[in-house]
Amino acid sequence: MNAKPPADAPVTRRQFLRDGARLMTMTGLGVAAGALAARSTSGAWVWQTDPAKCLHCGNCATQCVLEQSAVKCVHAYAVCGYCQLCTGFFTPEPGDLTTAAENQLCPSGAIKRTYVEDPYYQYSIDEELCIGCAKCVEGCNRFGNGSLFLQIRHDRCLHCNECAIARTCPGQAFRRVPVEHPYLLKTTSR
Amino acid sequence: MFRRLKWIGVLGMMLLPALMICAEQRFPPPDFESGYSLPSPSTPPTRCLWLQYADAGVFLAALAVAVWLIYKKRSRRGLFWLSLFSLAYFGFYRKGCLCPIGSPQNVVYGLFNPDYAVPVTALIFCFAPIAVTLFAGRAFCAGVCPQGALQDLVLVKPVAVPLWLEEALGVVPFIFLGAGLVCAGTGTGFVICRYDPLVPFFRLSGGTFILTAGAAFLLAGMFVGRPYCRFLCPYGGLLRLASLASKWRVRVTPDVCTQCRLCEQSCPFGAMREPAPAESNPASPAPERKRLAWLLALLPLLIIAGAWAGSKLSPAAAQLDPGVALAERYARQQSHPARYGLMTPEALSLDRAAANPGAVLASAADMRHRFDLACWLFGGWIGLVIGVKLIALSVRSGRTDYEPDRGACVACARCFTACPNERVRLGLAPAGGESAPS
Amino acid sequence: MNTSPVYRAFALTAWIAGVFCLLVCGVMIYEHFAAATRDPWTSPRLLALREKLAAEPKNAALQKQIRQLDLEFRRKFRQRLALDKTGGWLLLGGALALVLAAGQAAALKKPPPLPQPQTGVRELAVKRASRARWSLAAVGFAAAGSLLIVRLGHTSVLPANPAAWQKLSAKAPEAPVEDAPALSEFQANWPRFRGWDGSGASAPASKAVSGILWRAAIPLPGNNSPIVWGDHVFISGGTAARREVYGYNASSGALLWQRAIENVPGSPPKVPEVPEDTGYAAPTMATDGRRVYVLFANGDLGALDFGGSIAWTRYLGPLNNPYGCATSLAIWGNNLLVQLDQGGSRPAGSKLILLQGASGRVLWERPRPVPASWATPIVVEAAGKTQIITLANPWVISYALADGNELWRAQLLENEIVPSPVLAGGLVVLLSPSARLLALRPDGAGDVTRTHLAWTSAENVPDIASPVSNGELVFTVTSSGMTTCFQTRDGKKIWEKELETDVQASPGIMDGRLFILGEHGPLVTLQAGREFREMGRIPLPDKFVASPAFAGGHVFLRGMTNLYCLGPAASGLAQQP
Repeated sequence: MNAKPPADAPVTRRQFLRDGARLMTMTGLGVAAGALAARSTSGAWVWQTDPAKCLHCGNCATQCVLEQSAVKCVHAYAVCGYCQLCTGFFTPEPGDLTTAAENQLCPSGAIKRTYVEDPYYQYSIDEELCIGCAKCVEGCNRFGNGSLFLQIRHDRCLHCNECAIARTCPGQAFRRVPVEHPYLLKTTSR
Repeated sequence: MFRRLKWIGVLGMMLLPALMICAEQRFPPPDFESGYSLPSPSTPPTRCLWLQYADAGVFLAALAVAVWLIYKKRSRRGLFWLSLFSLAYFGFYRKGCLCPIGSPQNVVYGLFNPDYAVPVTALIFCFAPIAVTLFAGRAFCAGVCPQGALQDLVLVKPVAVPLWLEEALGVVPFIFLGAGLVCAGTGTGFVICRYDPLVPFFRLSGGTFILTAGAAFLLAGMFVGRPYCRFLCPYGGLLRLASLASKWRVRVTPDVCTQCRLCEQSCPFGAMREPAPAESNPASPAPERKRLAWLLALLPLLIIAGAWAGSKLSPAAAQLDPGVALAERYARQQSHPARYGLMTPEALSLDRAAANPGAVLASAADMRHRFDLACWLFGGWIGLVIGVKLIALSVRSGRTDYEPDRGACVACARCFTACPNERVRLGLAPAGGESAPS
Repeated sequence: MNTSPVYRAFALTAWIAGVFCLLVCGVMIYEHFAAATRDPWTSPRLLALREKLAAEPKNAALQKQIRQLDLEFRRKFRQRLALDKTGGWLLLGGALALVLAAGQAAALKKPPPLPQPQTGVRELAVKRASRARWSLAAVGFAAAGSLLIVRLGHTSVLPANPAAWQKLSAKAPEAPVEDAPALSEFQANWPRFRGWDGSGASAPASKAVSGILWRAAIPLPGNNSPIVWGDHVFISGGTAARREVYGYNASSGALLWQRAIENVPGSPPKVPEVPEDTGYAAPTMATDGRRVYVLFANGDLGALDFGGSIAWTRYLGPLNNPYGCATSLAIWGNNLLVQLDQGGSRPAGSKLILLQGASGRVLWERPRPVPASWATPIVVEAAGKTQIITLANPWVISYALADGNELWRAQLLENEIVPSPVLAGGLVVLLSPSARLLALRPDGAGDVTRTHLAWTSAENVPDIASPVSNGELVFTVTSSGMTTCFQTRDGKKIWEKELETDVQASPGIMDGRLFILGEHGPLVTLQAGREFREMGRIPLPDKFVASPAFAGGHVFLRGMTNLYCLGPAASGLAQQP
């Protein structure tokens, strides 16, 4: 019936069932929403990777839904040894300790090596160039202090409900963290 | 004898004194004499919290406007512009996330995992459309959903889908919903988000498979109205159920229906239902009643059969969870050791499992237990869906006019401008039968 | 209507937009596939060039090539990112134009709706409903069918009932317990490197050793020392192509059997390269009187019975050891101990493993925080516990044999750890090569670096040969032959003597005599006492790096290609070089 029934018509069985279903559903929704809201924090969750669990597999560079991954390498300068022969910067068995392409581990040349004082060199990451492939992280953790690590950069991350990298991470290093503390920075070597 | 030295050995010898001093770090922190100060790692902040609340506010406002446009203004044009706004805001600006389609997963995940608190915005995105639908039909689908708006935009030449195909494919959203809630409840992952084919277009990037699937949906959408909404969207399945109990329903016109069928032709989604013909032969209902009785009796059997079949799925489904997959790999390693390269992620994750196999196996056992229960429910749910659909196809309705099906109608308001009586009522056409071009 | 100019305009726009979209799509797809060869980090061309450079690091032309290619690839990568970005927006705009124009064109072309009244509505409805019901049934069956396929395709290795899983991680039920040989049997034989307790000292003999009794050829080379049990001598040899175990008769030197260790499950057919100086058969074998155990530098571990049949094999690799694995096997009761220290200068998966000898089952495995080392652990009863003393740079670590938990550790070592420790006079005597001779009290717990060092000496510290002790005195030999005697109690040097012969093998003590094996012979016998006294020299025509084995009054030596047995002259052949 397209026309609305008159206001004083008796309630049909269908109408009654419908009203009942609606009432029950609204009650159920209300209870669920209330229960969850009571437990809810004010803010949301964001994804972050735990550097202690990272296996430097390289998935971060390829699995992000964005073409240029939101995961970038970060340097914990306090943990760095400032070595002349940085195992995160140089390939194993570099011919020379120069910044020539054949000596560098980083495929996009994102690590900048600058001289500080003898024999210390500073290594910093250019985030625009970093692709998050974890080659430097592997080199640094295997042979060095482990001061290079990967982190999701929240100015680039889309904050998907399910992080596409999280589900392929072999070390299960990704987890949700409260938005108030969105980074899991490394402060010690291990 | 040991005379060959590689650079590793040289390095080791050079730095041995350092090793002796500092057990924690391989290379001790340097003492800078030139006054160099250590930079600290940058931490770019996330999006402001108030912006997230603003999103929820815009969402609720859009829902309210949609309801007003459908029931008060009854304007197709207004709804069209609202859907474009939603496409721009919730689609391309917010990149389609957080969206109501995926939010039931968050709710179920929060219900069964006490360490995850569902954010308030996710609750609003999940429950508000359902609450609105319980009162006003699928207003969300027409005016607010960006995926729906995208499909409406690409619709060029709608083709009617035969009923048998529509019913058959109509089971898929419920399967998807069930699978999504199972995976979310067990904490395995959010498969509804993973396999949403249209969100990659909002992000303008994605994997090859999902982009191809999305393109296929949009291409199909040029000729079939809203294929994602009708045949895949799990939230659409939920709203369909909610809409059955809605207080108000979309009516083509409150005036008399002249059975001209113009509304039926205008609906691109095949949601218009014809009036049920009168019972001509009192003797003939018997076979239909008998069929209905059989189907009603079949329903509990279908549920049980479905639950049993679903339970068989559990060991395979549980392997979706990475913890269970690791336990499987570990167990397989005990009996048939496979060779993984040194320091590869597979070898390292197996090393971690071997360091504490009890914990890995215990958590995997817990996950399997959850999957057992969830798969029972999933199978029973599918059985229920198929059984109820069968019954619904055998029940006769007492319609006298052409009116949209409660569940299938997405409240797009196209039929308002097609019905001549409604056009007259709205003032779009002069009374008396002449229909001027719009 | 078809030819109205408005319709034509829309149709044309739609066509142009469509072609535009296809073009942009095509370009992006082409770039996507071309990128696979041009990614700066996965490109096969670049990787091949880098490999070539690793072989010839100073090739300037190759370096230039790599730099140019690397720059080109990085540029192309940036260009592709930019292309994808703009391409995405262009595609979006084009698609929008396409659908809007096509929509308008279709709307213009649409004939005005003229629905006809329906006839036969009822029959139509009935037929449609019936068809729909059957299609639903088909969907149900299809779902069940696909479920079956998924079920069959993804079998689970884990047992059906999750409660049974704990058994996987718990210790498997004990295999039937073999009776291990009595301690006296171990002490009477030479079952592992440097004897049953690794001390280098053997049971007393009756007559002095004076000459070669027999010499037997060993088909494949190796640096491992022979082991002796009863009337058997076992030794292994190996190259990259083949690795074998040999069993000889101890009295006659006849080769009883030889068995190759090959096709070990999991062991790659192409073995990793090991430096020639070390070879593939550097670790000395071990035996518990029931089976003999062998470890090769590629990671193959095998157990054979005394008749030469293989009992079990296991692959423990790949081993990451810069000079090649040389740590020998250790044995205690019927359990086998393998120390696999790996890593160049940083630990890389070093571990200590205890296996059940009968089955090869791992009883426990412990990671070690040390890089590669080449000393062999000893298992001793000390401070009321059965302790495994291991050496590496920089830690001496003692583990409990029962469960592998650490008892104590001390950070006292440096350089490349080759000499093995000994238990002498209740102290653990060990060498920090070329640096110090140390003695530790083994009754500590935790880090005992500062607390349990009994004494230390920096005199004539060897870098290769392990020390040997008769309990009261400790003897060391440097690579140039400088022999020094210390007092075990306090490390006081008693005497020292330059033997004027290069020495690689570790010395041994039998029957109060100190045996020192020169690299090119001779076998020098000294009195193992407070006064230096040379008791004899037996010239030997071979090169010796492996340490001697002592059993039943005989000395077994391994030369480059021969196995020698030396003993009292009266009991056999005349002495002949």
